[in-house]
Amino acid sequence: MRSGLALLRTTTFRLALAQAGIVLAFVFALLLYVYLATVGQLEADSDLAADQEYTALQRAYSEGGIRRLSQEVSERTARQGPLLYVLAEGNGVVLVGDFQQLPSVPGEAEERLDFAFERFDDEGAPVRGRARGRIGRLLNGPILLVARDLGDNSAITSRITNALWTVALLGLALSVASGLMAAWLASRRVETLANTAREVMAGDLSRRAPMRGESDEFDALAEAMNAMLDRLEQLMQTTRTAGDAIAHDLRSPLTRFRQRLESALEAPPSSESDRAALRKAAEEADRLLDMFAGVLKLARVEASSNWTFLRIDASAVLRDLADFYQPAAEEQGLAFEAKIEADLALLGEPSLFAQAASNLIENAMKYTPEGGRVEMSARARPDGRIEINVSDNGPGIPPNERDRVLERFVRLEGARSSPGAGLGLSLVAAVARLHRGGLHLRDGLRQGERCGLGAALVLPAAQAARQ
Amino acid sequence: MRVLLVEDDNDVAATLKAALTADEHEVDHAADGEAGEAMALSGKYDVIVLDRMLPKKLGVAVVRDLREKGVSTPVLILSALHDEDHRIEGLNAGANDYLGKPFSTRELLARVRSLWHGRGREPLTRLQVGDLEMDLLARTVKRDGKKLDLQPREFRLLEYLMRHAGQTVTRKMLLENVWDYHFDPQTNVIDVHISRLRTKIDREFQQSLLHTVRGSGYRLEA
Repeated sequence: MRSGLALLRTTTFRLALAQAGIVLAFVFALLLYVYLATVGQLEADSDLAADQEYTALQRAYSEGGIRRLSQEVSERTARQGPLLYVLAEGNGVVLVGDFQQLPSVPGEAEERLDFAFERFDDEGAPVRGRARGRIGRLLNGPILLVARDLGDNSAITSRITNALWTVALLGLALSVASGLMAAWLASRRVETLANTAREVMAGDLSRRAPMRGESDEFDALAEAMNAMLDRLEQLMQTTRTAGDAIAHDLRSPLTRFRQRLESALEAPPSSESDRAALRKAAEEADRLLDMFAGVLKLARVEASSNWTFLRIDASAVLRDLADFYQPAAEEQGLAFEAKIEADLALLGEPSLFAQAASNLIENAMKYTPEGGRVEMSARARPDGRIEINVSDNGPGIPPNERDRVLERFVRLEGARSSPGAGLGLSLVAAVARLHRGGLHLRDGLRQGERCGLGAALVLPAAQAARQ
Repeated sequence: MRVLLVEDDNDVAATLKAALTADEHEVDHAADGEAGEAMALSGKYDVIVLDRMLPKKLGVAVVRDLREKGVSTPVLILSALHDEDHRIEGLNAGANDYLGKPFSTRELLARVRSLWHGRGREPLTRLQVGDLEMDLLARTVKRDGKKLDLQPREFRLLEYLMRHAGQTVTRKMLLENVWDYHFDPQTNVIDVHISRLRTKIDREFQQSLLHTVRGSGYRLEA
């Protein structure tokens, strides 16, 4: 388990933190907007109301002089309402109005004023508050103040501001908490995957990363990892089996090799029998060397090392191969028939492709008894792949053993007597994999009750040639 | 024929030297790439047999430098790495043939002879072995004045045999040069092709031209 500090360093937590920052910035923007839309609007409304009143009173003064003005002001002062009025002499002594004193004595110009006040309501209780308004000197000196009590407004303002701050702080706290939570959950799953990797490294190749079935990104990762481990295990298994098989398959020819030399040495010298023994020994040695060459080639194909892929005229290669094998097949008493579609092209390694196709033909020829039949066909499939099929009416392979034949060195028991290192079809399968295709074994041609073997090599076709 | 053998494995070198000498060649031996190149530069050899993995200088580099210095002696590269890529690399460097280890001595001898015979030939338009004639332009074959009907592949097979008339050509050489296949078929495919060709060129005639060389391959000879 990770320590708390390590948790703070996880990518998930950093991402969550970055997200929290973004949310916070958004909350601030929202705050500003709400502030401007509410408090700002209220102030603007106050200013407008005060201005209108101020203008109206100014008109009253210019029409009816100071008498009319003081009358109007007293009337308005008597009215209940958010608007406050003060009329004072030029020296600042209040004539009539809501306050006994001016908050300030203005200069020549009109001013906008934001001030705190204290006055007494009708019952004589003192009222404190803030007001915002306009103050100025009228013609010949009197001072007029019209303001709006902001009492209600400041309450709303502070309530809105508080609410926004609360939301912002709560959001931040939630972001950090959820970030930590996400980081913890993520690191727990990463830890599970890492544990699997460690156990595999420790030697338990059968371990697999657990999946939750949520098809999330961790499941995807676990799935990819498991697929990789499957392939790894399969390769390890193949290597092990191959090692055993090589040891087993090499032992018999090596033993025979040794026996022939030994018996030639023990027998009385005779150039005729010595030569025969030596020839047999050389044949055994050739068989061993062929086997090594096959194993090496297969290993190289399976390692998918740097092969150069070229555009191959598959139709031509396959027709040539059919022509190449036809006489030998006929000589062997087999009916050989090839149906190759024209214009089949694929991208591949030319010599491997030719060898794979020839292995299919040789395999069919090898296991089909005299009087039998081998059919070869190649066609473009609608799914953009090329299928090369070689079917025979030989003894076939039972369906449950077909997969096993594609493993290296496996020759089914009955086939043990035939020559060949059992690498033919494995090589075809490896070449198919290298070309992103596959080798499929199925029923071949019917022969009375039983079925021969059909081997289909399916490879992706090349894109149409550029003009 | 003078053969320069460049091979660092003393056992292999001794065996090859004995075999080449028995085949009536004069053999000089060099044990590393630099010595081999110095000897080859003298230009007195007819064929150079060069191992690929050599101390001091790799076989492929030796061939490349020899060709750059204008030495056109035919070169056969021997290699334990019998891969398509290495074969092509060797041929691109200027080698004339490439033989993967392990090989049979007979295969090597056949190829060395073939290299010498194939050297500096003028492009031919006609080939003749005894009363067998091949016109390479008209793509026709006649024996004793009688026209023989050959398939295109049979024509190429016969052409190769005629170009190497009197020499033993191995199955592997035919496979590589006539079919351009670089794998070994498990079956006796080549033999069947040869026997069909033999039917066409020899059956109706007294003297056989196409001979089987036991354990090695075939030879076309009048």
